[in-house]
Amino acid sequence: MADALRFEWVRLRTLRSTCWLIGSALVLNVAIALLVASLDDSPSLEVVAAAVTGGGANAPVPMAVVLLAVVGVFASGHEYRYGTIQPTLTTVPQRARLFTAKVLVVGATALVVTAVSVLLNVAVTVPFWADTPSLTDATVIGYVLLAVLWAVLGVAFGQLLRGVPGALVVLLVTPMIVEQLIFRLSYVPALDWLHPVVRFLPFTAGLQLVSAAGEASGGLASEVGLFTRWPSAGVFAVFVAAVLAAAVTLFRRRDA
Amino acid sequence: MILATHLGKRYGAKVAVDDLSFEVRPGMVTGFLGPNGAGKSTTMRLMLDLDRGAGETLFDGRRFDTLRQPLREIGAVLEARAVHPTRTARNHLRMLAAGSGIPASRVDEVLEFVGIADVARRKPKGFSLGMAQRLGLAQALLGDPGTLILDEPANGLDPHGIHWLRDVLRALAAEGRTVFVSSHLLSEMSLMADELVVVGRGRMIYQGKVEGFVSEFTRSTVLVRSPQASALADALRALDGVSVEPAGDDALRVAGADAVTIGDVAFDNGVRLHELATTTASLEAAFMTATGDAEEYVAVPRG
Repeated sequence: MADALRFEWVRLRTLRSTCWLIGSALVLNVAIALLVASLDDSPSLEVVAAAVTGGGANAPVPMAVVLLAVVGVFASGHEYRYGTIQPTLTTVPQRARLFTAKVLVVGATALVVTAVSVLLNVAVTVPFWADTPSLTDATVIGYVLLAVLWAVLGVAFGQLLRGVPGALVVLLVTPMIVEQLIFRLSYVPALDWLHPVVRFLPFTAGLQLVSAAGEASGGLASEVGLFTRWPSAGVFAVFVAAVLAAAVTLFRRRDA
Repeated sequence: MILATHLGKRYGAKVAVDDLSFEVRPGMVTGFLGPNGAGKSTTMRLMLDLDRGAGETLFDGRRFDTLRQPLREIGAVLEARAVHPTRTARNHLRMLAAGSGIPASRVDEVLEFVGIADVARRKPKGFSLGMAQRLGLAQALLGDPGTLILDEPANGLDPHGIHWLRDVLRALAAEGRTVFVSSHLLSEMSLMADELVVVGRGRMIYQGKVEGFVSEFTRSTVLVRSPQASALADALRALDGVSVEPAGDDALRVAGADAVTIGDVAFDNGVRLHELATTTASLEAAFMTATGDAEEYVAVPRG
């Protein structure tokens, strides 16, 4: 396992896209924090959360988090896009071990990057706000967890779909279009039976992790009956686990 | 020593590799020869556990996926361009070294050895096929392995490069390593290999020495020139296993009988001969004969 982890770490480190994606995530988050903090000098809880977590639960796709998911997609998808799966597997032939190493390295990277990002965001609010935002707030912890789950999900989809474009489409289209569509349709009276489904939409549920005052799904979280933070996290985590399991099973079974 | 037994792979109804068994011995270069689409790459992928299929390949008695640091035992390159286009040659090898407990200093050694040290810090997307092949060889040699498996390593090399590759592979084999190299060009293989494994349409056609392959699949023909060609043709056709084809106005091409027999037949029939010449088919012709319609031929045991 140590060899596989070292391999993955060097793989990640020697890609220029890793720097660009992580750099962009950090800069974008700091820019949002700076903007929010400079415009609002007596922030509500929701605004504080948005500044610290790069926009919080307002967008269907959390911005910095999606960039970390792309790092994850590249971890597995690049192998197929460039055919490097052959040298990779002749170096680490145990496929479950290789996949685990990818998940661990990407997950750990997402964890560290998000933690650093939160610290940077808090730091830029200091000149503007009297109270320093709490780092142990459930929203902040949820945000770090969300980033790790998205990044790991990226690895899983890149592996499952064996390429970059398909995985990116699934990662972006599902939360932005499919889940939004189901969510909106559930408001049509004839389709109100969709309501119980909405709380199990994985990406929508995942966003509850960074919801400070129920602003997920455009402030309708409680109205549509979404689970609260941690049960919602469970829904998203189960989804991620299922995709991971499918990815590793097919990886072991299929031709490389 | 590589021992492959009953390798098989099918894609739907199409059989790509059909019950191939062979062994590759150390101390010599074994060529893996077959026309394009004969199943050479698929066979190599099966050997390395990249593809799922039937059969088993043992490297000194062990399956590939049970090796802890396979790069140190088997250097395999199936695709010269299997590199990330923006990861430098050096970083590509460092990555593989990191996954195999190989010191990073070894990377510069192998890059030097294959002659691309000066482009080590460049991105492979600008590499020519020849440079990519050299990087591939560097990758194969990274772990100083006892076994090399290379798919079409000469493809894209210039004549100088092919000679260099031959010398390298022969030297590595002479050190007692097992070297298994595929090609679809017999001329290339006849320069490099001591032993051949020849496949066509996924099936074994021949395994053994290069010379044996040539003699087995080469048919000698005799060119006869005579003013009474048609009379001679009739006389020759009366013999068993002889085929006669006209080759121009007063010439015949005869297969299945040697020059002595033909001369005697001509003498007995009072036919005047102007030319009697034996022509031996080239290596390429032997290859074409062997693989042209692979289904006509069955596996020939090692002899």
